[in-house]
Amino acid sequence: MTSFQSQLGEGGGSGATAEELAEGQRSISIAEFFEKNKQMLGFDSDAKALVTAVKEAVDNSLDATEEANILPDIYVEIEDRGDYYRLVVEDNGPGITKEQVPKVFGKLLYGSRFHAREQKRGQQGIGISASVLYAQLTSGKPAKITSKTETGDGARYFELTIDTDTNEPEIDVDEPATWERPHGTRIELEMEANMRARRQLRDYVKYTAVVNPHARIEFHEPADSFKFERATDELPPETEEIRPHPHGVELGTLLKMLDATDSYSTSGFLQEEFTRVGAKTADGVCDRFRDRQFGRELTWRPPRSTDGGALEAHRNGGGEAAVTPAVREAVANKSAEATTGFADRVADALADRDELAHATVVEVVDEVADGIADDHGETFGETVRKKAVAAAWGEVTDGRAADCYELVDGATTTRKDDAAVEGLATRLAERFADRDDDRGRLTREELRASVDRAADATEEYDDATFGDTARENVTDAFWERARTVPDELPSVSAVADDRDAAARLLEAMRATDILSPPTGCLAPISEELVEAGLRKEYDADFYAAATRDAEVHGGDPFVVEAGIAYGGDVDGDGDVDVLRFANRVPLVYQRGACATVDVVKDINWRNYGLDQPGGSGIPTDPAVLMIHVASTNVPFTSESKDAVANVPEIEREIELALREAARELKSYLNKRRSLEKRRRKQNVIADILPEMAEKLSEVTDRESLDVDDSLARIMNNVLVERTVDGSTIELSVHNYDDTGVAGEVTEIVTADPGDHDEATVVEMDGEWFLKWSPEVAAGETATLRYEIDGDAEFDVSVEGIEAERLTIDA
Amino acid sequence: MSTDTDTDADLNEEEAREQLLDLAAQFYDQFADGSVPRMEIPTRTKSNIVFDEDEDVWVYGDRHSTRSANSVNGARKLLKATYTIEFLADQLAEDRSSTLRELYYLSESWEEERAQFNDQDESNQLIEDLEIVADVTREDFHMRPEESGATVMGPLYLREQTRRGEREIHCQKDVGEGGYQIPNDPDTIEFLDVDADFVLCVETGGMRDRLVENGFDEEYDVVVVHLKGQPARATRRLTKRLRDELDLPVVVFTDGDPWSYRIYGSVAYGSIKSAHLSEYLATPEAQFVGIRPQDIVDYDLPTDPLADSDINALESELDDPRFQDDFWTEQIELQLDIEKKAEQQALASRGLDFVTDTYLPERLEEMDVL
Repeated sequence: MTSFQSQLGEGGGSGATAEELAEGQRSISIAEFFEKNKQMLGFDSDAKALVTAVKEAVDNSLDATEEANILPDIYVEIEDRGDYYRLVVEDNGPGITKEQVPKVFGKLLYGSRFHAREQKRGQQGIGISASVLYAQLTSGKPAKITSKTETGDGARYFELTIDTDTNEPEIDVDEPATWERPHGTRIELEMEANMRARRQLRDYVKYTAVVNPHARIEFHEPADSFKFERATDELPPETEEIRPHPHGVELGTLLKMLDATDSYSTSGFLQEEFTRVGAKTADGVCDRFRDRQFGRELTWRPPRSTDGGALEAHRNGGGEAAVTPAVREAVANKSAEATTGFADRVADALADRDELAHATVVEVVDEVADGIADDHGETFGETVRKKAVAAAWGEVTDGRAADCYELVDGATTTRKDDAAVEGLATRLAERFADRDDDRGRLTREELRASVDRAADATEEYDDATFGDTARENVTDAFWERARTVPDELPSVSAVADDRDAAARLLEAMRATDILSPPTGCLAPISEELVEAGLRKEYDADFYAAATRDAEVHGGDPFVVEAGIAYGGDVDGDGDVDVLRFANRVPLVYQRGACATVDVVKDINWRNYGLDQPGGSGIPTDPAVLMIHVASTNVPFTSESKDAVANVPEIEREIELALREAARELKSYLNKRRSLEKRRRKQNVIADILPEMAEKLSEVTDRESLDVDDSLARIMNNVLVERTVDGSTIELSVHNYDDTGVAGEVTEIVTADPGDHDEATVVEMDGEWFLKWSPEVAAGETATLRYEIDGDAEFDVSVEGIEAERLTIDA
Repeated sequence: MSTDTDTDADLNEEEAREQLLDLAAQFYDQFADGSVPRMEIPTRTKSNIVFDEDEDVWVYGDRHSTRSANSVNGARKLLKATYTIEFLADQLAEDRSSTLRELYYLSESWEEERAQFNDQDESNQLIEDLEIVADVTREDFHMRPEESGATVMGPLYLREQTRRGEREIHCQKDVGEGGYQIPNDPDTIEFLDVDADFVLCVETGGMRDRLVENGFDEEYDVVVVHLKGQPARATRRLTKRLRDELDLPVVVFTDGDPWSYRIYGSVAYGSIKSAHLSEYLATPEAQFVGIRPQDIVDYDLPTDPLADSDINALESELDDPRFQDDFWTEQIELQLDIEKKAEQQALASRGLDFVTDTYLPERLEEMDVL
């Protein structure tokens, strides 16, 4: 559902206009089909219909604004009108031209998404028009659309209905309107609905805000209002559209592509319409297509001419190979000289080849006939050539039984009884001889069937056994020796009309090794922005995010991202929340059927410091887990796009992404736990030591004691102390820890310390800020010294060292 | 016949107090330097006792453990130590005394709750720590155990310095059948006269009464010291003084089980818990009379089978440095072999007079005491 709004900026250059984009869009008539299959598209209940409508409209608006490089500003309002609910969704997109409006909002499956490969929210181009249709079917009211482009013509208002018989949108009202937004689109739908899915609605909007930190979203529903502000002004990078990958298309898509292409040949079609297909790959696919379409031709050893002498020993049945006489015999009404010359040359040329298919013989005869014609001035016409081919091929196939023996023997194990091998070879040779097609053409399936029948017969009569493996090996041996035929492939339009041929082409595409699709077409949110999105909506203590490298499943590249927010104000009752996203769209239904949730349940979260009763299942802790799957084609479990299907490659990446983020969580939790322990210890000891010191000065009758130094040492702490000696001030940073520390020490002093070599000095309102960045190794002390004139007040602060590890005695 | 040999054991109140306050000052100085307050104490386990060749007793070896304020437990212990030092110093200044149990209850009255003791073991242990670190004995802190109650019966004439004045007592003529009760601090006793040939320390009350009833002390001129199980420090101190000052041979008569051998061990070698006081408490010359495992066999005494805990105790004694000699190795191995133990009273199976008429005279003759 992309590209339906016009580009901002007149004549601006590179971007396509709405009109241009429209050319790439095709219509598929399924309006009636939809009416009967509402549930498939997410309209199975009144409550869910509302969620789906909001979702489709908002997804649409986000795509439209991003495509036009506009930071999205989206307004959603749901109003209870008694009989019906009214849904309004407004965006600040580029607006939509008059011609586009009915097509975009009215025609089902209108949109280029169905054909192009690009990571976009709506992937099937059915969403918004389905909502229009649903509204119309339940309330009888038309969709009310207001749109304004920046062309200066002002806004227009339309009312739209869909004729469900013809799938044709009808514009009932088309009039100018006033709208305060400079540009954008507004759609208003009235439908039967209820707010029973309030939680899903709120989740959807909130999660959309999380995953689109560049969007500002306002959401009003009958009971409440929410505003989600922007966390970044950075638009997601523009995605590059890629052509589909041969491994990623379905038969239906292929048929549509065949129907729509301008290419004539299959090879051209492949190179034109698919990614990663060049001439060589196209040839590979075409050869495989030929093998399936026409079958291969079996090949045989060439017969040796008499003067060649050395007959191969194994040719037991044929006697003297007699290509020359046979061909001579076949040629009539030519001069004896030419006839002999022709026959000799054909025999020689065939003898030069290692293996002969029927097509090879045809080739050889044609070549020799042309040569003879030149030399002797006698034309060898079609009929003569055919007869010559038949005669020569008869001689070639004469040796078939011996070739079969050789192949069967080579393909079976040495333990096989020679009689059984002989039996199978002979029966195979007979079957090949009996075929109607005497060119020896067969597909692999036919070949295997022949082998099966010959093997069955051999098992029955010769008391031998040929298992499945043996039969497959024999089939392979013959298939490898067979030759792809040089026949012309059917044209693209012929394939488009022949479902079986198209299926064979698809099979050929899948059987060919092809480079993985490029991954530049994906726009992951990025680790920074996943974290920013979580930060924006969850006030947690800790955030982590991970973006994996792109991977490929089928023909579609995909990227998985994961994020974790932990602690703070995150709800800690019960299970952690799992936020699921596909192409930046929150998934709020069918949680239990989703691959993302399955993966979460299978991870042992105890390893990462989260509670997980029983060691599996959803962990229980105040945490939010976010999973984003971005792909040119996210595999869903159903058309309503509520749950990611269990594709092993994707599940694996989800797991790795979660584990990557969870590792950060683990080290955070470990550190937090050790700091907590330290804090507890510190609290107890810090309580006890002053008591002890007080008692000691009482018992020994000496002055009272300062225990901070001892305390810092006990805590392996960093102690910052100030000593003032006249005009010299010293700050000592003692590091009692066993690892080095680097912190930033800022001293605020009310007298001028002058310039300083090691510290930066800034004066503000009569106070001087001295800033040092000392690095203090384990057990060492750094001394920061400065001079002032006269009396002053001091205040020191330290950053970069955890409060638990810091004691300031100054 | 006074106690001029025991310099370190006879500190006056003021010196004991000084030593305690020195310890407090040491903690004070540690705070003042910014270091972590701590005290070092010898590890009190059997693996850290060594034989002192000069004194013939077992004392602590070189291994030390540190009570330091760098852990929560260590900080609590030192806080309690500080409060206890104050209490002891005050007690000494006022010339009062108290029992270990009183100290435990008294801590309840301290305002600082974290300085209070959790149980009496903790306060007892702290007093032992302070004895070691301050080099002052518990008696010099004026800390007493709850009850001593151990008694002496025999031809011994002595003078006791009581809080109510001097008392001169003859431990046969001036006492009832119960005998003379040993005071908590036996260093307040002065020996005036003795008419005994040796000292017999007896573990159980039953046997002690049997010996007295049979007139064994009179017949053989024996000072019978009742140990009352594991002997109190005062009992051991008195025994040592009887040996050292009156030159009396000391023999120990106990049940024939591993726990009783330890009673002998603490009389003769010093106990593991108070090895810092071994020179002051142990009587290395003390000999073991019985019941030996050998006696169980020789006299065919009625027995009980060894329990698992008995076997463990015997095996642990085989590793105990104090029992590393031929006599004990042979006897313990024999006992492990016969798997039996016997009480002193088992001798009654041969008649009530058997112990005084036969067993003891035979054993003591063997040991050259008679």
